[in-house]
Amino acid sequence: MANNFKPNIIGFLCNWCSYAAADLAGSSKLEVPATLTTIRVMCSSRVDPVHIISAYLQGADGVLIAGCHPGDCHYQTGNYYTRRRFALLHKIMETFKLDPERFRLSWISASEGKRFSEVTKEFAEHIEKLGPNPLKNKPFIE
Amino acid sequence: MKGKIIPLKDNLNNTIKEVIKSLLEKGCFDAILVPNRVPSGESFTYLLINDQDFLESCTPLPPIMPIQGARALRNLTRRGKTSLKVLCVMRPCEIRAAIELSKLRQVELENISFMSIDCPGALVTKDYIDKPKDSDILYEEVLDQWTSEHLRPTCNTCVNFSYENTPSDIHIGIIGQQKNHILLLPISDKGNALLGKIDIQCSDEISSWQTNVKEILQKKTDQRNNSFSELQNKTAGAENLDNLFSDCINCHNCMRVCPICYCRQCFFESSDEVRIEAENYFIKAQNKGGIKFPANTILFHLGRISHMALSCVNCGACEDGCPMDVPVAQIFSYIGDTVQKMFDYIPGKDRNEPIPILTYKEDELHEYEDSKGQ
Ligand code: SF4
Ligand code: SF4
Ligand code: FES
Repeated sequence: MANNFKPNIIGFLCNWCSYAAADLAGSSKLEVPATLTTIRVMCSSRVDPVHIISAYLQGADGVLIAGCHPGDCHYQTGNYYTRRRFALLHKIMETFKLDPERFRLSWISASEGKRFSEVTKEFAEHIEKLGPNPLKNKPFIE
Repeated sequence: MKGKIIPLKDNLNNTIKEVIKSLLEKGCFDAILVPNRVPSGESFTYLLINDQDFLESCTPLPPIMPIQGARALRNLTRRGKTSLKVLCVMRPCEIRAAIELSKLRQVELENISFMSIDCPGALVTKDYIDKPKDSDILYEEVLDQWTSEHLRPTCNTCVNFSYENTPSDIHIGIIGQQKNHILLLPISDKGNALLGKIDIQCSDEISSWQTNVKEILQKKTDQRNNSFSELQNKTAGAENLDNLFSDCINCHNCMRVCPICYCRQCFFESSDEVRIEAENYFIKAQNKGGIKFPANTILFHLGRISHMALSCVNCGACEDGCPMDVPVAQIFSYIGDTVQKMFDYIPGKDRNEPIPILTYKEDELHEYEDSKGQ
C-alpha cells in the first residue's frame, strides 16, 4: 500500500531562505518530491498554528514549516517565536494523539539547495511510511 | 505572614463590605468594582460604584460568576488607565485573568488594586437562575464543604482558589472559619499600606487557616488528577475528541465569555472563515468525503486552544456559557495545564513574567527542530 500512496504534503516556506533554497534546488537540478505543495510566507513566524491544524483537518498528510536558521531571520527574531509556537502546537497534537509526527519544523537557508532537497525527500519518505492522513474520509472531524 | 482576624458581623458578605466601606471612607479609593445582585434577584453582575448606598446592596462573594471580572475590568480600562483609583473585588481566577490581559495590553493595571477572597467555586449559572432562593441556601453548604456536584466542574478541580499564585493586594481568608470570622491578609506592599490606612495591624496568627487551605488543596488536587486522567482517555485521538465536541453548534459563545479571548477580529468570526466560495467547499468535500455545516468546529476549538491555552485560568466561564453542555472548560483546563507545565508557566501568577509565546530563548526547544539533513 505504501507503494501506490502518493502523499499530499504542504510546505510553508519562508520567502527569504527556504523558498529561495527551493529555487536553488530546482535550478541545480536536485530532486524535490512532487508531492510537496509549497506556500510562500514572508517569515516562518507568519504561520499560525491554525494554518497547520487546518491543513491537517482538511486531509494533508504532512505539514512542513521551513524558515531561516535561528539568528538569521530577516526580521531578526521571527523564527524564535515560530519555534515556540511550533513546540506548543506539537505538544497539543501529541496530547490529543493527533499524529504529531506529521508536522515538521526545519531551518533551511537560501544557499542550502541540497539541504532543501534532502529534507523534503526524507520528510516525504517518512510520511509515505506513516500512510494516509486518517482524517481523510471523516467529514465530521473538521 | 500574619493577618488580622475580624469577627463576623451577621454574615460573610456584610463583614467584607464593612472593610470595603472603611477603605472608601478613608479615601483610599475613588470607586469599587464589585459584584451586585441584579434587580430581578436572579443573577449578579459587576457594578462600578462610589456611592455608599449602592455598596449596601453589593455581594463581594456571589454564588455564581455569570460575568468574568477580568472582562468587566477590560471594559473599564480599554482606552487606557483610569484616572480614578479603583478597588476590584474579585475571585482569584478573575484577578489572574486580568493579569494575563494586562500582559496582552487589554487591561491597564495602573491605579487598580485587587481584593481577593478564598473561593469555594461558582454554582452553574443556569441552575441558579432557575432557583435563586434554593441556590443561595445550597451555596451555604458549599461554603462548608468547598466542593460540590453543583459547582462548575472546573471549580472542583481548581488548585488556585486561595491567595497563592494570585497577585492580589489584600486577600480575605475564609476557609474553615467563615462561621466566626474572616482573615485579612496583606499580600502586597500596597495592600499592607491600605490596611494601615484603616488602622488594621496584621499581627494575628494564621496557622489554623493555613492548615485548612492545605487540606482543601489536597482534596482539590486529588479531584484534579482524577479528572485529568479521565480526560486523557476521553480526548485521545480524533474520534474521541470529536465525540466530546459533537454537540457543538458553532455559536462561539465559549469564546465570547472567555476573559482571555479578546481579539476583535477573531479569525473564526472573520469573512475569510465564513465567506469562502462554494467551489472551495466542494474541494474540501472531495478531500473529506463530505463536509459538515456549519464548518470548522474542531478547527475552532483546536485553534482557540493553540491561541490561548497558555493563559487559560480554569475559570469555567466557557462551559458555563455553552448552550449545548459541551465540556469545553474541562478540556481547556486539561490541555492548558499540559502546555503551561511545558513552559513552567502559571497564568496570572506573576505580573512581570511574559506569556511564553510572547517571548523566547535563543538556545531551547531543539527537540522540536528537524535534525535531519544537517
Ligand atoms: S478557556 Fe474557559 S476556563 Fe479557560 S480562561 Fe477561557 S473561559 Fe476560563
Ligand atoms: S462549545 Fe458550546 S459555546 Fe462553544 S461554540 Fe460550541 S456550542 Fe457554542
Ligand atoms: S524571515 Fe525567514 S524565518 Fe523569519
